[in-house]
Amino acid sequence: MKFKKITALLLSTVLMASMLAGCGGGASNATSGPADAQVDAAAPADDTAPADTADDTADASGDVKEFTMFITMPGSEINDDNEIAQMIADKWGVKVKETWLTGQTASEATGTLIAGGEYPDFIDSDEMNLLIDADALVPLDDYIDQYPEFRDTWFTPEEWDKFRQPDGHIYWINPFGNTLGETKQTTHNDEAFWIQVRVLEWAGYPKIQTMDEYFDLLEKYIAENPTMDDGTENMAYTILCEDWRYFCLENAGQFLAGYPNDGSVIVNKSNMTIEDYNVSEDTQLYFKKLNEEYNKGFVDPESFTQTYDEYIAKLSTGRVLGMVDQWWDFAYTVNDSFKQSGLDQKGCNYVPLGLTTKPGMENRWHTYDDTVNQASGIAITTDCEDPDAAFKFLVDCAMDQELHDLRWWGVKGVDYDVDADGLYFRTDEQRQNWADTSYQAAHRCQYSYFPQWHGTSRDGKNANKPEEQPSEFMNDMAEPLKNCFNAYGVTTYPQLIGSVKETNGPWFPMYSYSNNFTTETPGGVAWAKMGECKHEWLPKVVMAKNFDKGWAEYMDAYNACKPEDFIAEMQEILDTFK
Amino acid sequence: MARVKTENNKKVQITWKEMKKQSFLMIISFFMVVYGIIFYYWPLTGWLMAFQNYKPKKGLLGSKFVGLDKFKFLFEDAVFIKVIRNTFAMGVINLVTTTIMAVLFAIILNEVRRAWIKKPIQTISYLPHFLSWIVVTGILHVSLSPTGIVNDVLMRMGVIKQAINFFAHPKYFWWIVAFANCWKETGFNAIIYFAAITGIDPSLYEAASIDGADRLQKIRYITLPGIKPTFLILLLINVGNVLNAGFEVQYLLGNGLVQSVSQTIDIYVLKWGISQNDYSLGTAAGLFKSAVSILLIFIANAIAKRYSEERLF
Repeated sequence: MKFKKITALLLSTVLMASMLAGCGGGASNATSGPADAQVDAAAPADDTAPADTADDTADASGDVKEFTMFITMPGSEINDDNEIAQMIADKWGVKVKETWLTGQTASEATGTLIAGGEYPDFIDSDEMNLLIDADALVPLDDYIDQYPEFRDTWFTPEEWDKFRQPDGHIYWINPFGNTLGETKQTTHNDEAFWIQVRVLEWAGYPKIQTMDEYFDLLEKYIAENPTMDDGTENMAYTILCEDWRYFCLENAGQFLAGYPNDGSVIVNKSNMTIEDYNVSEDTQLYFKKLNEEYNKGFVDPESFTQTYDEYIAKLSTGRVLGMVDQWWDFAYTVNDSFKQSGLDQKGCNYVPLGLTTKPGMENRWHTYDDTVNQASGIAITTDCEDPDAAFKFLVDCAMDQELHDLRWWGVKGVDYDVDADGLYFRTDEQRQNWADTSYQAAHRCQYSYFPQWHGTSRDGKNANKPEEQPSEFMNDMAEPLKNCFNAYGVTTYPQLIGSVKETNGPWFPMYSYSNNFTTETPGGVAWAKMGECKHEWLPKVVMAKNFDKGWAEYMDAYNACKPEDFIAEMQEILDTFK
Repeated sequence: MARVKTENNKKVQITWKEMKKQSFLMIISFFMVVYGIIFYYWPLTGWLMAFQNYKPKKGLLGSKFVGLDKFKFLFEDAVFIKVIRNTFAMGVINLVTTTIMAVLFAIILNEVRRAWIKKPIQTISYLPHFLSWIVVTGILHVSLSPTGIVNDVLMRMGVIKQAINFFAHPKYFWWIVAFANCWKETGFNAIIYFAAITGIDPSLYEAASIDGADRLQKIRYITLPGIKPTFLILLLINVGNVLNAGFEVQYLLGNGLVQSVSQTIDIYVLKWGISQNDYSLGTAAGLFKSAVSILLIFIANAIAKRYSEERLF
């Protein structure tokens, strides 16, 4: 009895103690977090642990800083013992453990981080405004000024200003879309109606200008080639509609009307007004066409219920003839997989078409200038214990050509070779390796959300990225793709899509403003509701038996979201550029 | 004055002597009370957010109070009204179908006489309970897709001519969710009924046999009345849970086309509270859900009190 009593008492005391310990820990974290994050006593102890496991490269690894990073995009994690990551750690003293979005949406993942109050060292989120609201980010202004060379090459003062938040600070740096030296743009890293080259080849490389011609061609091809060589059924057209990726369904209307990718609205430059493409005539024509094709059975019936993974798997089988998508959303994965399976030799690669509603219109699918999306980028959080080292590595990524080459080209002699003129080139085997997923996990380390350059390397000869190296670009292309380029007399994707070359206004792209809207304002509430409404109604409109009736119902639901509030707030932003 | 009940139900006056006698119990219960306050009641202070315009930066004390503005927004939002409807509908459908299935399964299993058949069936039937929803919804997604096994079978049997995309039609959604719940939980829920049936005095069955009752009559007159108390108590508990109609299933199976029938209050809370960073609105929706749940359980308890001897409190 006595013993039992004592045990019970002990147990409850322990329970109590552990509870209090839990609370206490939380509290001290909360206070030490935002305080100035200089190297504290705990840091060296943390660092020795990985050094023990690191093998014979012991000399510098005692000082390797390990950072964590979370990116609100799906991606592939690299192995912990990734070779290039280790080389970078040895030379630049930094290793970054990247984790990617799985299962959640970007805003949910960000919201969950904020609710938990613990952040990775680096973060790249589509919802930066939420992080600022939660005081989770370190202002970068002072750090930027410590590296004047980086400051002056990476952005112009005007571009930096775009990143300044209402409190006057810069919290993140967009790592993409910057060109160094002469531009070497070869890919169309934007949205388009894509079509497989085998379809164009079959039709004798016709000139396709409108949506009607596009679907006509797909229909004819399917009629004559219902299956692929191995018996898999061909599918004319699929639409990705999952969560934020529903742009593949949603915004083609703005392009078909000949406008550039402002994303959430159209900017009418002639009178500097914001127009709503959701209700425009071109958008209606676009959905009418999709509806017609759906009812004829040429649109994938799984379109509106498939997940991104299912969509990519579907494209990778090579059976889908066409779709609307952004290049970066599918091409890296799908092209690598075509290369692995040999489908690229059968003409399954996709090429972009610059379609418009009527023939002979100008199209603006391709963006020639660097697009600076000031809505997101890489940021350092208040939980980072050594923001100085973290920011230095960020600068190194942009400013150190050797590091840049290591990330994008790989190891000299292993992943690429250099010819007598100093030009980098790859053998077929090297290209094949570079596209192989297990090789990527074990060897390749791109740190792909750290600053990176397009254009020409600092050696003045090579491209910063292999796919932009003209010789590499041509050699990397499968035979059918090459034939297609030759037939149309072009050498790059942008030439193929044939967009108008012009400079976009300083407000471009408008989506970088609407992405940061919050439900604080009526416009933000309208924007959230419009998105929800479109998610439900656009698929319904496409599937409707009677298009006009479906469209009218959609318009009722859409107008109930008060889009005018949203448009008005976007107009206010545009007015600041007058 | 508060009074303490002792075992033989006599009321004992609280005196120093009595407290000293029970000092050990009091020390132990002190810890439990503290535990309860910290983990059950302290978090409820977060409900304050529902009446504020909460900003993580300013914290609970620094945020501005806005009264019932958030609730006003909620009930003016046509989507939220639909969300309440969906939650109720799916909660009730799930409750009814899973309960019927569990009772039915327990009775059928009880009628199996051979233990070497019964035991494996019971084990196999409750295994799905331990699968996570992500796995279950994955299986559903594949098997109900236009090229999945369900469509394949239906087409081969000639029931349908063209494959149906089950997830594209709002009318199927609630039933898919109910089916998923039944598939996953029937075996597990049946365990408690099965135990209740085992607890019925075997002499009742023997007596019924002598009186010439057949199997169905025995089920009707002995088994069913025998599990009635268990059934009612579980029903009472579950009525309070109706608004917990689920989060994972609807979240994982839903898509834009069916969102008007698939969103539950929990998803709404996630969408506005976490994704749009409007903690206040999320809290308001959650608070509403808790209030309705408490109300439901009181109503159900009152009804149970009136018509039978079973009740929760």
